[in-house]
Amino acid sequence: MYKIMMFEGGVYKFYELKELVGDLGGFILQESVMQTETMMHLAFPEEDEREIRNKIKELGGKYKELPLAGTEIILVVPSLGKHHAVDPMCDIAEFLRRSGAITNMMGLARGVGRRIAQMTTQEKQIIEEFDAAVFIFGTFEECLEEKVKLCKNIDIPYIIVGGPSDIELEHYVGGVGRKTARMRNKDEIERLYAVTSELERALAEKRLDLEEDPIAASPLFIKDMIEMTILPKVGEELPNVIQLDGLRVKMEEEDIEKIKEIEIGKKKLLEICEIKKSPYTGYLLEIKSEAVTGTLF
Amino acid sequence: MEVKIEGVSDFANGSYTKICQDTFRDAELRSNIDHVYMHCNPKEFVFVIAVKIGRVSRPVTVWDVTLREEKKLRITTERYAPKLLALLWDKYGEKVEQVGRLELLLKLEDNEIEELLKLVLYDPKDDLVTRILYALDTILPEGARVRSPMRSTNSIVIIASENPIGEEQKNKVEEMVSEYV
Repeated sequence: MYKIMMFEGGVYKFYELKELVGDLGGFILQESVMQTETMMHLAFPEEDEREIRNKIKELGGKYKELPLAGTEIILVVPSLGKHHAVDPMCDIAEFLRRSGAITNMMGLARGVGRRIAQMTTQEKQIIEEFDAAVFIFGTFEECLEEKVKLCKNIDIPYIIVGGPSDIELEHYVGGVGRKTARMRNKDEIERLYAVTSELERALAEKRLDLEEDPIAASPLFIKDMIEMTILPKVGEELPNVIQLDGLRVKMEEEDIEKIKEIEIGKKKLLEICEIKKSPYTGYLLEIKSEAVTGTLF
Repeated sequence: MEVKIEGVSDFANGSYTKICQDTFRDAELRSNIDHVYMHCNPKEFVFVIAVKIGRVSRPVTVWDVTLREEKKLRITTERYAPKLLALLWDKYGEKVEQVGRLELLLKLEDNEIEELLKLVLYDPKDDLVTRILYALDTILPEGARVRSPMRSTNSIVIIASENPIGEEQKNKVEEMVSEYV
């Protein structure tokens, strides 16, 4: 299993850290150099954490845990109108990104109201493409109780964020509700931390499932192999996004034909992944479990 | 501006009080509104909002937003510049020339300039109701799309729901808000 962490520090000798990560069989997921400051998301084998920590200490950098790294999350709000955007949805999304998640936002076509609120099959299908969903609802308890029913059919881990604090719901974070300004007070920031940790708890179940029935190859490894075959275009940001049990590849149709033939160990990518076009964006590669594909190496 | 919210829990009450205050502040209406009363009934999904309109600021004249320098006018509040130019060009045509970003040259007699300075540029009364209605639309829950307005000379009352609003309900609301508007 890989561990994903963030390095922050100066540019001095940071290539040594990159080389070390490569030598240990790890990957650089994101890298940004801003004048003399460097930020990198590193993925490396869990057992080599001590070595990486020592190197970072030697370089005088900072080391940050990213509890949601390697996940793609969708934030769902009843609509993208002025009532729900920008606050609190962007505040929550920003906090999730700080914890390493890749976030997407979605406004339901008919999610507003109490009796009239609904979710279409296509919306449900899009939500289920992600590792987890965060539903952001409003202030009234009565509406929330009704809207919770919309989420019940969702097949992925999800949490609900709402206003009232005293509702008995699984994976629920209260005290947020409708906002007209950025969440920047101490209490509000605490709520945002609570959202992150609740999402972590919801994802823990999925992580456990994956540990019990491991996938054939790590999405990080497959991503690396794909990017070695088809280089990302200039200026293209995050063309391939990793998920817990697969990845989203944003490529042209002819490139998809090429990646199907990539060899991962003894098998081709086509044999270990289920490739399907996403109704949202790009193509989804669902990695089959090792029990189905057999060992690759 | 006083805000009173009724019919919901303490959390929702606090939340909607803040929404009302922030929305009216953003729409620059806080000084024009005496008080806001909101009654929420999320169980039946009926929301009533009543606004009592107070004093409205006096009209903005050319003198308020400019500084006269002999035959020149310097615009002191840039946000009125497009309105000011449109007004002056419409009234005086080529006699008013924009020589700099915030500088106008007037080819007019002194008495004409005196008159020009008294021209009304913007009257807040003109779009007051529009701005209040926009603010109310922001405050009321998005799902409450069936709206029934009740308007008098100095107040606006809106009943909003996702279900049809009957006469009986309207009468009940009229009674409910009578002490506030």
